[in-house]
Amino acid sequence: MTDNPNNNGNGYHRFHIVAERAPDVEKWPSRFNVRVRRSGLAKLIIKELLHYGPRNKDVILSRPCLYGVFSGPVGGFMPRDQHCVGCLRCTTEFPDFVRVSHNPERRKLGDSFFDFRVVDSVTYEAESGLIPVKGAGYRGKFGGEGWDGMWTDMSEIVRPTRDGIHGREFISTVVDIGARPNFLMFDEEGRSVGRTPHVFQIPLPLLFDVLPKSAASERTWRITARAATELGTLAVIPIGAVLQYNLESDHVAPLVRPGEKDALPVLEKAPRLIEMDGWEEGLYRAIHTAFPESLVALRIPFTSGQELLKFARKGIRVFHLTADYHGRDPKGAFVLDLIRRAHKAFVEAGIRQEVTLLGSGGIIHAEHVPKAILCGLDAVALDTAALVALQARFHGECRDRETSRFSLPRKLTLAWGAQRLVNLAASWRDQLLEIMGAMGLREVRRLRGEMGRAMFMEDLEREAFAGVNGYEPGR
Amino acid sequence: MSLADKSVFELIVEKHTANLHAGFRRWSEEMGAPPPALGDYRWTDDLILSTWYQAAHGHPPQDRLEYRVGRSGGGFDVLDFNFLPESQWLPENTEIDLSLPLNRRGDHLEKISIPLPIYGGGMSYGSVSEQVMLSRARNAAHWGTFTSTGEGGYPRSLTEYKDNVITQVATGMFGVREETIQNARIVEFKYAQGAKPGLGGHLLGDKATQTVSEIRESVPWVSLFSPFPFHSVYSVEDHRKHVDWIKQTNPRALVSVKVSTPTDVDMVAVGSYFAGAHIVHLDGSYGGTGAAPEIAKKNIAMPIEFAIPRVHRYLLSEEIRDRVTVMASGGIRTAWDIAKVIALGADGAVIGTSELVAMGCTRCSNCERGRGCPFGLTTTDPLLSQFVQPDWGAERLNNLYTSYATQLKDILRRLGLRSIAELRGRPDLLKYVG
Repeated sequence: MTDNPNNNGNGYHRFHIVAERAPDVEKWPSRFNVRVRRSGLAKLIIKELLHYGPRNKDVILSRPCLYGVFSGPVGGFMPRDQHCVGCLRCTTEFPDFVRVSHNPERRKLGDSFFDFRVVDSVTYEAESGLIPVKGAGYRGKFGGEGWDGMWTDMSEIVRPTRDGIHGREFISTVVDIGARPNFLMFDEEGRSVGRTPHVFQIPLPLLFDVLPKSAASERTWRITARAATELGTLAVIPIGAVLQYNLESDHVAPLVRPGEKDALPVLEKAPRLIEMDGWEEGLYRAIHTAFPESLVALRIPFTSGQELLKFARKGIRVFHLTADYHGRDPKGAFVLDLIRRAHKAFVEAGIRQEVTLLGSGGIIHAEHVPKAILCGLDAVALDTAALVALQARFHGECRDRETSRFSLPRKLTLAWGAQRLVNLAASWRDQLLEIMGAMGLREVRRLRGEMGRAMFMEDLEREAFAGVNGYEPGR
Repeated sequence: MSLADKSVFELIVEKHTANLHAGFRRWSEEMGAPPPALGDYRWTDDLILSTWYQAAHGHPPQDRLEYRVGRSGGGFDVLDFNFLPESQWLPENTEIDLSLPLNRRGDHLEKISIPLPIYGGGMSYGSVSEQVMLSRARNAAHWGTFTSTGEGGYPRSLTEYKDNVITQVATGMFGVREETIQNARIVEFKYAQGAKPGLGGHLLGDKATQTVSEIRESVPWVSLFSPFPFHSVYSVEDHRKHVDWIKQTNPRALVSVKVSTPTDVDMVAVGSYFAGAHIVHLDGSYGGTGAAPEIAKKNIAMPIEFAIPRVHRYLLSEEIRDRVTVMASGGIRTAWDIAKVIALGADGAVIGTSELVAMGCTRCSNCERGRGCPFGLTTTDPLLSQFVQPDWGAERLNNLYTSYATQLKDILRRLGLRSIAELRGRPDLLKYVG
């Protein structure tokens, strides 16, 4: 799916994700309920028959819907809710007997963090691979906490052109995973001495995180593995599943838990990246011994800068920092602040260029990716967003990887599932390009930690509302 | 004309137009509760219905509907006015001056002044119907203010109102011709727009009909992106050359520069002034009427409430505040928003969405879908666009402007001010109610 016509035959291959429509396999509740009082409609038809006469059948049958809600065999008597887009023309024209309301069943999709609006967005992206485009301006809350209190900058003049960013001009979304020294050293004869970069590249700053227990199955592991392969990125999959379902590839990062040391030798080849689930000295050594050429990522919950630097001193150069599915750490801090704290710790220690920070938890919307990178991540591992792309239903509040309950559609197939994830990645990458295009950045690596190009509500409000009676910063 | 003389097309238009007009009235005046699915955080059901009410009556509703603020939880919605005690209000018959001079540079060009601090923002032919453009132009002419072509060319029918139509020159140059620049008393350069800051204009293929593409000199049914940025502008000096080009084509015209709200919006405003702009038009990130990527609406560039004070203060510190007119747009929904943005530092406001709402928009966001707006606003569909007839549209807008003018005067009176100019840059007259 990443093949593309931009390969010019001279070895140049331009990364491009080919999205293909992958319609929902499970019927979800319609967005709106349309209710028509039948006696009202019958009266209207009689009235119009009398007024226009039977010769003007087309006038009488002309209904106030462009989307087919009243186009069934019995017209408005049995409205087709699933076609309703909520324009409200019908209820505007016929306030007495047509009611359009939000469907409460639709609003139950997701949970309090991954709310139904985000579900709508992600499912559209996974179905089409397109950027959601709508008219009539912004409809949401002004700002708020977390991601909603952050804006990205734009440049009035110098930038790649928008007609170009998805076509002839180039914005790179390649990121390096691994360890690179701050500088290279050479001996007198020009040979490199000391540490050299130990990195590999993925073409977009998105990975697929390990699935929660309730969604883990051979099929879902295969879906994430295939999507990662098609995108040229990585899927994090428990080593047990990797071995059991024969999923070894350059695009699978086995997740090894303490106590799973013995599984390592069973792997047939060295993975590019192995994730170690929590720090265990013995396991770290065992991985190094078994696969000296593999990179080791330490997967741990977001923690203090001091703690992170401690692991860096032990040799860890790739960190996969996790928050819960609502983007919180156990103390309630939000992932945006947690990322900034981690990034800052490495910057202040002077080794930010040497490490790679991957993050997951609470990053559920396309806009969160550039924001997370601006705050300091190198790449984002998708978790609940990937599940929603696969039309997973949430059962209750889903915060925790171990106990959250998701159910997937019965008709889930490998081809459909992989395509949905590819489409989601295509859409999110294109939206990342939009943000970077607006900022005038040509490379996602330059977006990382570029805090001067971020704006925060607290700061903007403090500046703008200085002098307004009753305004207290930070209240 | 009897029923028998009318075509099916005419009868269908007549039927739905009559139903819609009755519906706007009934929902805003008679029904006990709003349509359950109407509204959002920014444009609540009450704001939409109260705008319909104002468009019908020329004054705000007396009870029931909240016509001043939305429920977005920030920006204008957490600001209120710090009114004087009632005993200190100016008498109701006090003469209050709402006029706004647009040329403050002190040059030899026309000293255009508009009688209220509002004009209509750019909405291009193609993104809206010709009937909507005509409605706006007629209302602008009636009030002696302006409306803008947007970047879609200049339908011939607008020529009659050319003294009140701003010609927009944007990066795609769609429909920009020498005569349309020469028509205008004000020419507006659009560098960016709040709906999609930094991304350029976007007309979806479905709306690029034969007529639209003829005016835009493009290929029918092909999506049109305005390239971003102006490829010839990489500095204030380059921008100056653009201004000179306009002045060469039309030496009489005032120049407005429409930009969005990046972190350095203050520098952009100062640069625009030094490049020769009479009007700096800041378009904040929450507005816009046309199709835009959802990601761009919320996340790129700052809301206008934050940009205006920054620009106002910087222009003051550069000692050029009184030599340039600052117009604000992007999410300004009500007369109260207009007054608030002026108190934060703007001279006036540019409105777009509220004009569409006055003509029946429910803000359903389906402007880009299929045949376009089902209410006949953001569409060029031959049938749908007939729902908005220019006389009716102009009357709705006239009523809306009348209501806004009344409310602005009332706000000033309660603040003890005799002119809108006195309100500019007075955050001390606001209070935070968040």
